[in-house]
Amino acid sequence: MIWHITKRELYDNLNSLRFALATVLLLGLMLTNAILHLREHPKRVQTYHNGVTRHQNRLANYAEDSLYKLAEQGPGWLYKKPSDLRFCAEGGEPFLPNNVEGGFGRWGKGGEQRLESFWILAYHSATPDLHNVRPNVTKVDWGFIIGYVLSLIALLFTFDSISHEREQGTLRLMFANSVPRHTVLIGKFLGALISINIPFTLAVLVNLLFISTSNDVHLGGEAWRRLCLIFFITLLYTCLFLALGLLVSARVQRSAVSLVILLLAWVTLVVFMPSTLVSIAGRSTPPKSAIGFSERSADLAEELENEYYALRYDPDKNLTQIQVLQGAGEYVTKDAAGQERLHAERLKQRISQVRRARVITQISPVTTFQHLLESFAGTGFERHLQFLENVKSYAQQYRVFIVDTDQADPESLHISGVREGMSQKPIPLEAIPKFEDTLSFSKDFNTAAVDLMLLSLFVIILLSGAYLAFVRVEI
Amino acid sequence: MLTTLIRRELLDNLMTFRFAAAVFIILLLVVTNTVVLIKDYEQRLASHNAAVRMHQRQLQEKKTYSAGTEKLFVDRPPNPLSIFNVGFDKQLGNEIQVSYNYVPSLWDAGMHGSDNPFMDMFASIDIVFIFEVILSLLALIFAYDTLAGEYERGTLRLVLTSHVRRGHILLAKYISAMLCLLVPLLMSLLLAVILLTATAAISLNTDDFLRIGGIILTTVVYLSVFYLIGMLISAATRRTSTALMLSMFVWGFLVLVYPNMILAVVPRPEAPQERSASAFNEIEQMWEAFDRDRKHFLTTDALPGEDWHFKIMGSGWYGAYLWGNPGRLSYTYKSRMEVDTLNEKAEPRIPHAQNYFGFLGPQVAGTADRTWFIRKSALEDIFIQPANVERLYLKLSPVGLYDAATQAWAGTDLLGIRDFFDAARRYRQHVIDYFYDAEIFRSRQWFSSDKGAADWRNLPQFSFQRVPVNTTAKRALSDMCLLFMINTALFIMIFLIFVKSEV
Repeated sequence: MIWHITKRELYDNLNSLRFALATVLLLGLMLTNAILHLREHPKRVQTYHNGVTRHQNRLANYAEDSLYKLAEQGPGWLYKKPSDLRFCAEGGEPFLPNNVEGGFGRWGKGGEQRLESFWILAYHSATPDLHNVRPNVTKVDWGFIIGYVLSLIALLFTFDSISHEREQGTLRLMFANSVPRHTVLIGKFLGALISINIPFTLAVLVNLLFISTSNDVHLGGEAWRRLCLIFFITLLYTCLFLALGLLVSARVQRSAVSLVILLLAWVTLVVFMPSTLVSIAGRSTPPKSAIGFSERSADLAEELENEYYALRYDPDKNLTQIQVLQGAGEYVTKDAAGQERLHAERLKQRISQVRRARVITQISPVTTFQHLLESFAGTGFERHLQFLENVKSYAQQYRVFIVDTDQADPESLHISGVREGMSQKPIPLEAIPKFEDTLSFSKDFNTAAVDLMLLSLFVIILLSGAYLAFVRVEI
Repeated sequence: MLTTLIRRELLDNLMTFRFAAAVFIILLLVVTNTVVLIKDYEQRLASHNAAVRMHQRQLQEKKTYSAGTEKLFVDRPPNPLSIFNVGFDKQLGNEIQVSYNYVPSLWDAGMHGSDNPFMDMFASIDIVFIFEVILSLLALIFAYDTLAGEYERGTLRLVLTSHVRRGHILLAKYISAMLCLLVPLLMSLLLAVILLTATAAISLNTDDFLRIGGIILTTVVYLSVFYLIGMLISAATRRTSTALMLSMFVWGFLVLVYPNMILAVVPRPEAPQERSASAFNEIEQMWEAFDRDRKHFLTTDALPGEDWHFKIMGSGWYGAYLWGNPGRLSYTYKSRMEVDTLNEKAEPRIPHAQNYFGFLGPQVAGTADRTWFIRKSALEDIFIQPANVERLYLKLSPVGLYDAATQAWAGTDLLGIRDFFDAARRYRQHVIDYFYDAEIFRSRQWFSSDKGAADWRNLPQFSFQRVPVNTTAKRALSDMCLLFMINTALFIMIFLIFVKSEV
């Protein structure tokens, strides 16, 4: 019986104007998305490869010189690997930096013994282009197409599914037969779900066909697995809006009223809630300002410098050569550690502010959905945090390598921070650890789990709401 | 007769659920967002004030004039009307160095104040965006059944049996629906303005109120465009369900899809590389000619040697170099000397140095002025023209027109931002005039503070006033005229369809 009702709904929908319009709209958007991706993605991959080559050349250069040079200059710019699935979710990537600087020489001091500052991890922000007077372009990614357009289409397919039948009196007719109410509801739900997914699947297939047949972009097995998950999440997301549509349609007597309610709910949930909530959340606790940061950094540098000079040029102490070296080395390493800690602290504050804002915006299903898409497409904020983790563990590895190699050199004095105190031998390039940014599917899945459950929760609540409303309604 | 019709339609509309819903949702959204936006504005103002103080302090700390000109910054205050349409207000540079050695422009500006650049990830909204989305939607919801509903119910036939002209019916429907839609619009805008005036940090003058009036007028015209689109669909399809579906998809296309998609689809005009290279080359040559003159001066003056700092060594900083950036077409000669104490031997060289810097200052300022003419037109061609072409594509949708017109009213459009840089250029001229009048280029304090530090108290003060409201109106006029034209065209089309249709 369910199948019978589903089929009837399906035929109804397939012949309607909205089906044709939805198909055209979705096809157009998905095609645009594919073309844009094919135009932009090779550039991004090129930038990444250039970055990686530069990083390795730099290592090779300094390795030829000495271990000290490697220890002082650091690994250089470390680049974030661009995701092949960026067309699914753009995830605010233009506002996220695509690298971390593992270098950042800050000072060099003359005198009888030349001191150079040691490298630190500096997290620069993706500076927005201050000279860009062109109008902003919102990227047409799947997140936009599904999150905004498909959800609107889902509401347009369901707003009249019950109220219209009630207006016409056909609902009463149907219940004159021995059809359980939930069968009708499920039939209608499935009918709408299938009829929306026909144009959507078609559009997705065209999109993927374009992208996968291109020579510039390669989608591996992992990418397809992720795409399957994204498709499944999209189903869940459309279910949410279908359930909302059925719920309102069942409660309201007239389809015009149902549409008005649904449209206003959609506008509030999808268009306004994310940005308004962010504004409220973002304003609550602003982190310490950027001006304060540079002042703190300068204070720390000055304090350590004074400490060092006091020790170094103290006329009362007659320091041995080794003691001088040890003092200088301690100064350099302390300075690097302190400055890196300041940078890390600032980053942590910023991240926690964004985290708070992201949690609050999850009240809106479209944000939850977009977060999910970002997680599985390997873009966006969580992915950026993963990249930062990778960078940190690489920095750790790099430092351990330096210390170990220095220990292994019998001629070295093992005083970190000064040229004379460290190994002067060139290092074979193969021995140096290299940075490779990786994407981990299991990590992505872990970060997405909460979002997934939240979305499922939304769907279950709305579906049971629709069921209750429909079962109890007077006809 | 017309008034009877209007009254009937008005009552019809006012008693509906959609009217109540419209009032509720618009008030809710506008008020919550205004509160949030005012908070945001206050924060930006605070950060602006902090930057102004910091720049003043940094300038006061400089003891020589040549060092001070590198720390003379002016800051662009946030625009209170950015609450209505934020435009470029947050996006483009808001601090600029004013120096005799180059002419400041938008492309030399820097930015202060972003505490957390990650937060830029989240989209921010303004009041015009709320109207853009929701008023257009409401206008279509009000319009889709206005004619189709009467066709379906047969009431139109009934009305036409009495002596009612079809034009009057259309006019009555249009006027009454617009009146209904104006209620939530004006209520919410009034609340927003009340909130604005109640905020201590914001003081609005008459011009600002006129600008807000302009924004309201544009909003009404925009609203009318969407109502007429709905009416057209309603008249053409004659069935409410078809009209509704078509309206919703038209809305989705015009408001959601088109503004996001169009710039991705059309090939973006590239900045002309050759133009940029040739202009930079020309500018570079002018500076090189200046450098030759400078060296010639040094070789021919009374002291032997080409040393620009005349071996005036003491404790302090000095540096001089030509510096250029081909990407932004900027080129300049920077020279800075900051000497605290001088030794005895330097004293006889001081008059020569004063003579040299007295020659150098006007030369540098003059070269900067001359290169600016080339740079100005090149920047126009390279940056502004492609952006204007893209903006034109956006204006093919009424949403784009509305956005552009309200930006112009609020003064957050590109021209409004560039006004600030015009003011900065005028201020630079004042500063240079002051330097001439007080003979600062020639003074000892230009390079050395050993006999008294530079005195910044008499420096002209910078002030920036937004352009008067009639200039703003002129900027908004073309887009508003286009919106009016769309209105008229739509109305004529509806009239023709409606008059010729069988009932």
